[in-house]
Amino acid sequence: MASLELVNAVSENEDDNVIEFYDVDCKISGKDILRGVTLNIRRGEIMGLLGRNGAGKTTLISLISGLRSQTSGEIHVFGKKMRARTAEFRKKIGFVLQENALYEELTLFENLKFSASLYDVQNSQKRIQEVLGILGLLERRDQVVSTLSGGLKRRTAIARAFIHDPELFIIDEPTLGVDADARHAVWTYLRLLKARGKTAIVATNYLDEAIALCDRVAVLGEGEILAIAKPRELVSNSGTCIDIECDKLIANKIATDLQNDQLVTHVDLTLSGISLFLSKGANPDEALRELAKYGGINGFCVRAPDLSEVFKSLGRS
Amino acid sequence: MNPKLRAFLGGVNAELHRLKRSRLLIALVLLQAITFLVLVTLFGMTGAFAPTALVNNDNGPLAQVFISNLENDHHSFNLIFMNNETAARELVGKGSLVAMIVIPQGFSENISEGKTVPVTVFIDNINTDLTDDIQRAVPSAIMSFGDQSKLEGVNVSVVETDSYAHDTSFINYMVASALVLDALIISGTLSAFTVAEEFESKTAKLLAISPVHPLIPLMGRVTATTLVSAGALAITVSIGLIGYGISPIFPLQMVLILALCIVMFSCIGAALGAVMKKTLPVALFTLGIALPLYLFSGSYEPQRFDGNLIWGAAHFSPEYYAVGLMEHAVFNLKVTPEPLAILALALVGWIIVSLALAWFFSRRGFS
Repeated sequence: MASLELVNAVSENEDDNVIEFYDVDCKISGKDILRGVTLNIRRGEIMGLLGRNGAGKTTLISLISGLRSQTSGEIHVFGKKMRARTAEFRKKIGFVLQENALYEELTLFENLKFSASLYDVQNSQKRIQEVLGILGLLERRDQVVSTLSGGLKRRTAIARAFIHDPELFIIDEPTLGVDADARHAVWTYLRLLKARGKTAIVATNYLDEAIALCDRVAVLGEGEILAIAKPRELVSNSGTCIDIECDKLIANKIATDLQNDQLVTHVDLTLSGISLFLSKGANPDEALRELAKYGGINGFCVRAPDLSEVFKSLGRS
Repeated sequence: MNPKLRAFLGGVNAELHRLKRSRLLIALVLLQAITFLVLVTLFGMTGAFAPTALVNNDNGPLAQVFISNLENDHHSFNLIFMNNETAARELVGKGSLVAMIVIPQGFSENISEGKTVPVTVFIDNINTDLTDDIQRAVPSAIMSFGDQSKLEGVNVSVVETDSYAHDTSFINYMVASALVLDALIISGTLSAFTVAEEFESKTAKLLAISPVHPLIPLMGRVTATTLVSAGALAITVSIGLIGYGISPIFPLQMVLILALCIVMFSCIGAALGAVMKKTLPVALFTLGIALPLYLFSGSYEPQRFDGNLIWGAAHFSPEYYAVGLMEHAVFNLKVTPEPLAILALALVGWIIVSLALAWFFSRRGFS
């Protein structure tokens, strides 16, 4: 097994930024994909880009990779204004693309070997062994990629991004299309990056993934940054959700009565009853006591909001 | 090691490993090439060896002379000797034979006496091409027979002077040109597949964000494909030459032409792969253009025999130049009015154009 060097996490210095976006716009085929994005990513942190499909996450990542160019605004990477992506710059970044983009007919080792040749990795055999060891893939070294499960392919894609020991990782949808166990395994290895003092940008659709991995998240909606916060703060700021199981008549009455309640941000009628969204600071116990007066409530569940509900709390439907 | 060279060799190495595990693909492409080789020669075989029954009801000496004249008639019959006229007619009716020639009883005697003897020819005229062959060949054989037998009334003789000291069979002529077609099928398909797969599987993005120019490792991959194509073509060439009993007159020239064809068609395949970016359509397209390009290149006969318009248009096909050079290398034939040096220059020009196309479209694919 490779040795694991643990270092201190996020830089204390707020100016120690690896990436800075200043009012960046990006248009594709005349359509605004990113609008006025201003964002900084500190050394050693994992920054989540949270948003639904089409929010602009992949485009934002493409701007850093050089696969696309911004229409206006400035992007600074490693303290330098980046227009042309030089070889030295590219060597500092490890990408895990949304698609695994692996050569399916090659083995894990051969995939990594090819990547090592692209990044001019010295002593590549040793480095590949080391990376495979870190990611728990040594036993699969000579397995052809097409025979791997989705989770192992994802892990191999991460291993490939690891091969040249970059300073910054950019990971697009780390657990897209993988099962729960594989998802957990991928998270473990991404936490490992942080433990090794690496900076990472993780684009994801999943709120739980952002909570599990990220120091901060930037919520993207329709190409704009809606909020930047620590994931748990984002959730707690979005209030609490109560799902109530009751018949339709009672659900309608509750919805009408609570329409103008200051503590209820909005209500959704559901198939089994009604969902109430309480604003930050509202006490769900009190709300439940009030609701009990209606009678005919068969059950309830108090939970944190999901991504869609976070969006609603940010004023986006 | 220089990082660019390292990335290039990395591409070569990765592609060789990939192809090692794609043996079925290579085998199928090879099979396709061999099938084409056999297919084009089959066209020649049907015309050159039309199976024709010969029923000899006369055992006289002149009948034997006439039969030998029929047998020696170039590019027409494959005579099958039968005793029973009815059985032969049935075989023609079933499509097993193209025609039946009947030498009547008393043929030799009647000819000796200067009488006119009708020779019955029964033809399955389902295909006018074969019918025409028989219709041309029988009178020609009669003329030869009359000439050889010093018969009265036959006073036409042909004094033939050949352009070449040796005859080249129609089938062998086509084998030489079919090897150029095989170079296109093998190297064009494999390199088109390699490049298209790079885009289809999104690994092109991986190359695009790497520190080296993406065309360097891609070039490495195409180079590996070209090497494998050369090996596959060597098998096809061996089958073609050994199978059809052909000894090339200028073997080194033949190898050089085929090597140039492999490079040229690999580049054309790479350009197509970069344009289409999908493996299945590009493989089908490459196979689809192979035959028209081939037929348009003087593959069956010197293209100028087909009229000035077609001949002029054939100059736009790279195979025109390659086939011209191949026919010279294998049989010492000159099938185009242009000198060999011009053909060679044109072929090199096409290689440069192919390289430029591959470079341009691959580069555009990454942008």
